[in-house]
Amino acid sequence: MQDVIIKYILDAIFAAIPAVGFAMVFNVPKFALKFCALGGAIVYTLRSIFMDLGIYIEISTFLASLLFGTLAVYWSRKYIVPRPIYTVAAIIPLIPGTYAFNAVITLVEMNTNGVTPEHISLFIEDGLKAVSILGAISFGLALPSLYFIRYNRPII
Amino acid sequence: MSNLTLTYQYQTKITQAIIRAAVLMLEYGAESKLIEQTTKRMGKALGVKSVEISLIPSAIVLTTLSNTNQSVTTTRQAHHKPINMSIVYDVQRLCIDLEKFELGAEKTILLLKQIKPNYYNKWLIIFMIGLSCASFAYLRGADWPAFAVTFVASSIAMFIRQQLAKHKFILIITFATTAFFATLIASLASQVSSTANIALSASVLLLVPGFPFINSFLDAVKGYLSMGWGRWMQATLLTLATSMGIIFAMAVLNMKGW
Repeated sequence: MQDVIIKYILDAIFAAIPAVGFAMVFNVPKFALKFCALGGAIVYTLRSIFMDLGIYIEISTFLASLLFGTLAVYWSRKYIVPRPIYTVAAIIPLIPGTYAFNAVITLVEMNTNGVTPEHISLFIEDGLKAVSILGAISFGLALPSLYFIRYNRPII
Repeated sequence: MSNLTLTYQYQTKITQAIIRAAVLMLEYGAESKLIEQTTKRMGKALGVKSVEISLIPSAIVLTTLSNTNQSVTTTRQAHHKPINMSIVYDVQRLCIDLEKFELGAEKTILLLKQIKPNYYNKWLIIFMIGLSCASFAYLRGADWPAFAVTFVASSIAMFIRQQLAKHKFILIITFATTAFFATLIASLASQVSSTANIALSASVLLLVPGFPFINSFLDAVKGYLSMGWGRWMQATLLTLATSMGIIFAMAVLNMKGW
């Protein structure tokens, strides 16, 4: 049990680092960096917990970003900060970059080395994974604010 | 009602102020819903009846309507710039200030001109990005030598990316070149580590166009389909450019697959 908790904490720390690193590339204002770090740790830990419970990666990602999106709406009302400032940096650890690159690399390889059934299945698998995880992240992030759109008034 | 006496000249000034804010937000990577909301709120605060906005990825068309249905329309081109959240934040803040205090159009234009990004220290970013990609490698289960190689490879890659950005190369060239060198350096991991493929794939993760991808989805689900497609295309192009860089590097090294 203790090992599991230590693993979660370590993972959370190593997920918070990229959130802050990429937030700096996006030039997030200094005071918002702590939200990025905390958000990155929260979404990554939530997703690992859901995945450890045996839920598929797409659904876990969706649930994690849905919960984080709700928290983000709360934060942005409390501290009067527009959400994109910290949400996008915080979900960076979830983004399926490797799948996306793999898919395109396979596509180019098909062009040079000829098309084989293995290549096609690799391309479709990686591409689908990348798109569905991306979709899960964005739907999860967007749903809380779509809930508020029906009143047609800004969140902050 | 001061709105009844809104002169054409002053309404033009208001329109200029609003569109300047909208262009800033579009260029530096705000999502469409935020741009529309901010322009409408600014319009209301500055004293026009309504603001109508039409967004495409490369330009903005904006019309303000006064109470007497006098309308002023203007178009501005938007050029793609590196994502900058501090500018988006400042514009949003200015919009909230406009609602609280009566600043007037001239003052608003002046304040918009003063918005400058507060860049982080270049070397700090290089260190943090190196550490970020190394963290990605750790999260995927890389061993410590692979962690170290990833750190070095992506730090150097970030340095190259910054240099190319400084010399105003377009993003596609920047991404391809950066991916090429990142993969070249990360391939050294095969000498020291048993998880070399994780180092290879993690060291290029600094080039994932996460912002355009997320923004495109957010735009599309909120009803801005053309903006969504435009940003999707941009993100896909950047992914393609990065993959080309990786493939060139693998061809040079005579490697196959990750």
